[in-house]
Amino acid sequence: MQQEAFANTEDFGGPDIVAVSGNNARPGIDPPYARYELGKPYDEMFAPDGRPRLPYAALDARLSTLSLEELNRRQQACEQSFLHQGITFTVYSDNQATERIIPTDLLPRIVTAKEWDRIERGLTQRILALNLFLRDIYSDGRVLKDGVVPRTMIYGSKHYRREMRGLPVPHGAYVNICGSDLVRNEAGDFVVLEDNLRVPSGVSYMLANRDVVRRAFPAVFRTMGVRPIEHYPLELLATLRSLAPFHEDVSIAILTPGVFNSAYFEHAFLARQMGVELVEGRDLLVNDNVVYTRTTSGLKRIDVIYRRIDDDFVDPLIFREDSSLGVPGLFNAYRAGNVMIANALGTGVADDKAVYAYVPRLIRYYLAEEPILENVETFLCREEKSLKHVLANLDKLVVKAVGESGGYGMLVGPHASQAEREDFARKLKADPDNYIAQPTIQLSTAPTFVGGGVEARHVDLRPFILHGSETKIVPGALTRVALKRGSLVVNSSQGGGSKDTWVLNQ
Amino acid sequence: MLSRVADSLYWMARYIERAEHTARVLAVKLESMVEQTPEDANASWARVIEALTGDTKPAPHDAFATTRRLAFDRENDGALITSLALARDNARQVREALSNEVWEYLNRLYLRLSPVTMDSIWVHSPARLFREALEEMHALEGVTYSTLSHGEGWYFLELGRHIERVQLMGRLLDVHFRAAQDGTTGPKYFDWLVLLKFCSAWEPYTKRYTASIRPQKIAEFLLFDTEFPHSICFSVDRVTEALARVAPGAPPARRAAVERLAGRLKAAVDFGQVDDLMSGGVAGFLADITRQCEKIHETLYASYITYGAETVL
Repeated sequence: MQQEAFANTEDFGGPDIVAVSGNNARPGIDPPYARYELGKPYDEMFAPDGRPRLPYAALDARLSTLSLEELNRRQQACEQSFLHQGITFTVYSDNQATERIIPTDLLPRIVTAKEWDRIERGLTQRILALNLFLRDIYSDGRVLKDGVVPRTMIYGSKHYRREMRGLPVPHGAYVNICGSDLVRNEAGDFVVLEDNLRVPSGVSYMLANRDVVRRAFPAVFRTMGVRPIEHYPLELLATLRSLAPFHEDVSIAILTPGVFNSAYFEHAFLARQMGVELVEGRDLLVNDNVVYTRTTSGLKRIDVIYRRIDDDFVDPLIFREDSSLGVPGLFNAYRAGNVMIANALGTGVADDKAVYAYVPRLIRYYLAEEPILENVETFLCREEKSLKHVLANLDKLVVKAVGESGGYGMLVGPHASQAEREDFARKLKADPDNYIAQPTIQLSTAPTFVGGGVEARHVDLRPFILHGSETKIVPGALTRVALKRGSLVVNSSQGGGSKDTWVLNQ
Repeated sequence: MLSRVADSLYWMARYIERAEHTARVLAVKLESMVEQTPEDANASWARVIEALTGDTKPAPHDAFATTRRLAFDRENDGALITSLALARDNARQVREALSNEVWEYLNRLYLRLSPVTMDSIWVHSPARLFREALEEMHALEGVTYSTLSHGEGWYFLELGRHIERVQLMGRLLDVHFRAAQDGTTGPKYFDWLVLLKFCSAWEPYTKRYTASIRPQKIAEFLLFDTEFPHSICFSVDRVTEALARVAPGAPPARRAAVERLAGRLKAAVDFGQVDDLMSGGVAGFLADITRQCEKIHETLYASYITYGAETVL
């Protein structure tokens, strides 16, 4: 196999990259940063005075020695590598199926040890509180009796699974795999935008990005002391193992919807990296409340399932009966304690937009601690004072319906017409419980290679939290980047790409 | 091994074998065409088309249109590009059972051939693309051999490859030996030479029998030689060997059903005599071998892959 030509040989054996101060290219003026705009949002690389922040100095020094052609060549090598590995998703149009890669940016996003420490402590605290909350609402409902969270909000949620009531889960861990979306606000502080507690994806991109970007900048990588992330599959395996009631010969499988799912690459990747079976619903069967896979030698028992399909599709006998992705009888096997499922069912109730607003209170309630990571400021329209504020400031706020996702039922105040705002005000007054509001969030910007040079683009940060018998966060994350100039949308379906994320030792 | 994974590996290997066969036949055909009279070339195309597609349409055969159909027509189930696409689809479904190298070689080959058009290859040397594809398929075979553990999955690949090879070789030999009986438009010296090349057998054959090319010796070599990788006998040996290695934990009764058939097939090939066949029995013999392979395929599936769960609980 011809290896993609990535780096010059001096990158490997050469001296460390030393940042030269006072000699750097300036954003907005010198190449390769001629089109780099520093605006109101926090910029990851440049301080407001246009000087590179210290963690980015080595990368800046390296960039100043590389021609645009060379950067282009390395960017193409990254893309080729993804294409050959088949890290693609399929776009269907005119009966033609085209395979596209999710673009990976050549330039790493850097997080310092100090910043990471706070993120790690904050996310650990958060997942503990969320798991205690889930255990509570699926048993006594103490938090509801105490009036911390409104009862109707939980019992009325379409993601609350009555079938889970009174069912113990190992270590009280409902959410075993979590991907939380953080953003950096204008002050430079990381805040939590969203908790993904159902079937978060993207971790394979974190690992695949590292693989190519490290090869694109080997000397910078070596110089900076980047913390490794390659042990993620091992930690995931340990987390899944810790769910089984015994410790020898635990039989683990990843349950995938199949090859047409957009995250299929990730499912196969994790199965391969962990050395566990990748199964589809049709490979599994349940007999006498025990789950088996059909193998060439006969039936083999499965003890732990890392499912990558939504609650609704897990078991057609209990949830959606038209599901062909799931396994009839799986939920009863789960109730009987014969198989463990990660994440547990019914975790979605804790990551909707209304519960999100309560997470800081949940942290105080269950842990008697102050939240280490703040939420984005959120106004719950069910609270009268907030409703008043929201109605008075509709032109400045983003209003979201709590049950919806993907941009539905949403008002972006600054971009809406007077008539739209008046229409929304009526909806708010009629059903305030159904709405929350947030200020428009300015995501931070990070240097991104776009053809002609390095420009500022908005980014977020998705670290992955593992929680079984203990909590583990691998020091890395998926950084998603909005590749369109000025865009705040980082979703891959809408022109988003991703970046390797370097968490430093120092 | 999951039954579904075994199924995909088996079919992945079958499709790769089919693609390789098509590429080799096309490369040899296009290279040898220039040395033939139009009549001979036509008769030869007719045999190639029948061997690869089963169609027995009479001449004339346009080389450009025929090559396009056999190589790049995605509507054609047996086209080179279709076989590769199907091999890749199967591989994608069992990525966790393959090495990175195996997947990447196959994926790259597909991505390279996928955008190719006839016009772009026809102006220069049309055979060259198929030669290059062959080289890459040989490399794929090499990484498969050296990066995958030779466990159950590998033996399912072997099964797929050799069951397919028996069928493909069978059809190719069948059209040539049937044509030889017809007399008038039968294969000439040059056509027998080309047949050997279709099977990448020319050099091994001359090493064994010298360059004297005789249909009876060709039949003997391609049917019964135990050492040449494209002989029927060689593939049958690989099939029997692989059947003994898959599904090690399956109940004895199931294993016996498969192994009995394998034994019968091996006996038919081991005790076949070329002298008995040359009086017209080649076609019948090949038909019997093909039927036996189909039966093995069915029993293999019934025993290890599609069996009802109720039968083992």
